[in-house]
Amino acid sequence: MKNDRLIEIIERSVGVEPNFVLPADFAQRVTTAVVGHEQWKTDLQEYFYLATIVITLLAAASGIYYLMDKELLIRTMNFFASNWAPVTFVILTLNFILFVDKVVLRLLFSRSKNN
Amino acid sequence: MNDTELISQILNGNMNAFTFLVNRYQKLVVYITGRLIQRQDELEDVCQEVFIKVYQNLGKYRNECKLSTWIATIAYNTGINYLRKFKKFDEVNPDDSVALRNLSDFGSKNYETADLHRYIRDQIELLPVHYRTVITLFHLQEFSYQEIEQITGMPEGTVKSYLFRAKALLKEKLKDIVDENSLKMVEEISNEK
Repeated sequence: MKNDRLIEIIERSVGVEPNFVLPADFAQRVTTAVVGHEQWKTDLQEYFYLATIVITLLAAASGIYYLMDKELLIRTMNFFASNWAPVTFVILTLNFILFVDKVVLRLLFSRSKNN
Repeated sequence: MNDTELISQILNGNMNAFTFLVNRYQKLVVYITGRLIQRQDELEDVCQEVFIKVYQNLGKYRNECKLSTWIATIAYNTGINYLRKFKKFDEVNPDDSVALRNLSDFGSKNYETADLHRYIRDQIELLPVHYRTVITLFHLQEFSYQEIEQITGMPEGTVKSYLFRAKALLKEKLKDIVDENSLKMVEEISNEK
């Protein structure tokens, strides 16, 4: 008899809601986080598109110069080869500026806005 | 708005529909992850992670199960991963005698029904992780055995066994602390209400 009563009490109690709570604006916060997360991916994509476009344009210009003025292209290549360190530095710096502008700053801005 | 419409709205980029989905399923997610991780301070981050995964994988949802089952699966896996990450997941084969010793005593001699319900709810938090998970899914969220099998990956027989053993543990503990007289009192209070 006692067993049946205990089972009855337990059956009723296991359906009692636990004490875990989320902030009232949780859904809004999640949506903002998702938007920020998706935006970051879009920004990264945009950065890669831009970098690809720049590289393609440079390659196309080199090709045109190769056909029009082979000498100039060879001189330019020689210049790059003999000054590879500063040239690499300039390319990396420009790339870094583009990355910071298109991805990092936007990410930091959206995070500070969310906080 | 039904779940199918909601999903198609979200996939079309309607973020208000996503907010609506979070509102609809946040209780389900918070109860499952809460019972698993048992840390209020981490709960919001874990729940947020669950809904971000829901958003990112919504395109892969194929209506093979209810949306609530699919979301519960993500919540369960995220909670289990959290426990594994912090090395708190060592209850593969729960020892019922140890689990029984872990349960706490009833704090007072006042057996108001609400107190007893609260006491049992607190004892559920002290049960091994698989026991409290199946109790939450079966009794609180009213999933079927098949759905719980789908969510947790545990065979149906194991789910039934954990459910039975969890209730047996609670009953064993209650037996020690509640005598015949107090049971009558609880019943009278319940009937009066």
